[in-house]
Amino acid sequence: MDFKDYYAVLGVSESASAEEIKKAYRKLARKYHPDVSKEEDADTKFKDVGEAYEVLKDPEKRAEYDQLRKYGARADGSFEPPPGWQSGSGFGGGGYTEADARQFSDFFEEIFGGGRRGGFSGGFGGGGFRQNMKMRGEDVHARIALFLEEAFHGCEKQVSFAVHEADEHGRVIPRQKTLKVKIPAGMREGQHIRLKGQGSPGVGGAEPGDLFIEVEFAPHPHFSVEGRDVMVTVPIAPWEAALGATVTVPTVGSKVNVKVPKGSTSGRKLRLKGKGFPGKHPGDQIVILQITMPEKHSAEAEKLYEQLAEAEKNFNPRSKLHV
Amino acid sequence: MSKQDHILTVEVVDQDGSTFTLREICERGECHAEFVIKLVDYGIIAPLEDYPEARQWEFDVAALSRLRKAQRLQRDLKVNLPGLAMSLELLDEVEEMRREVARLNNRIRQLMGE
Repeated sequence: MDFKDYYAVLGVSESASAEEIKKAYRKLARKYHPDVSKEEDADTKFKDVGEAYEVLKDPEKRAEYDQLRKYGARADGSFEPPPGWQSGSGFGGGGYTEADARQFSDFFEEIFGGGRRGGFSGGFGGGGFRQNMKMRGEDVHARIALFLEEAFHGCEKQVSFAVHEADEHGRVIPRQKTLKVKIPAGMREGQHIRLKGQGSPGVGGAEPGDLFIEVEFAPHPHFSVEGRDVMVTVPIAPWEAALGATVTVPTVGSKVNVKVPKGSTSGRKLRLKGKGFPGKHPGDQIVILQITMPEKHSAEAEKLYEQLAEAEKNFNPRSKLHV
Repeated sequence: MSKQDHILTVEVVDQDGSTFTLREICERGECHAEFVIKLVDYGIIAPLEDYPEARQWEFDVAALSRLRKAQRLQRDLKVNLPGLAMSLELLDEVEEMRREVARLNNRIRQLMGE
């Protein structure tokens, strides 16, 4: 078991006052709150910060922890509580939040775990679960990131999430659950799917909760999505823009031929009806034209450009800049 | 893969209009009706149709997940209701801006031909 340095977690010194600890905790709790932070391991950091505060805010627990810190930590960073160690303060719930207590680390459990069981189950009607108590299982809210192609055509996805269930002692413990889910075609960002009865199990024969999954999109190198429409920037050559042309354009998972009108300018949008998100009211694909030059011109092409410059000498592309 | 890995069919909640009554959202959110009514008063969540009688209210899943978020923020950061309303609005705005930045960055990358 690794030793957890709660002072380092909160970024305070060993001699920090209760006020400093509270301040540091509040700041970090705001920073790493999983509903606020976008950092990848915000969840873990938030739990660590909560656990550190749970110990350091309580003078009794803090004193015990300081003692352990002095004698229990080994040079290699591992940790073993001294033989016969028993916490005098225990964890009686009502501290940080009971709901989060079950998320605390093994290290915390080892040191302050003594009172945790009673304290925690106390939250559910005093003295653990009564036989006749019935309670619907918790709903679980999860998110899933889909590639655009997957959302478009539908796919099968594996989702992992934690449910909470009671063990034989009536202790609520998290359990990792994995399901294979068939995502229907045409799901858009922000939409939810529900899997009935796949949340946490109910207590005393009550029905289980549901699993809700919110869809989000992984960024795509070519396409972007606005509502039901799919946008794509398509490069064309200057002569294709000037003379008009039929060009091949990618759609999500396929391609189509599109007629570029004669005299198109860069940024012109072409709407491909019904080529956006599938569904009852399918969206469109919007093609944004972008005129692109070859990196090098042949001597012949340069000559043609010279002729073009002569023929179009009245055109001032910078007229909007008043120059 | 174990037995539990058979493929499950899902219900697209936002499409078939599955909603929760006040009672159901309280049950799923493990909170009192008063709390939900306050969230509605502060504009933190909204019923699909603005009936004057709370008993007639119907909420969608987005409202339920916002309710859960509000509870977590209140519990973990000790935010009061006006503070909740403001922080959730700001978080929405940040989220929308992050998406916009991602969209624009994507567009720029395409324009630069990267």
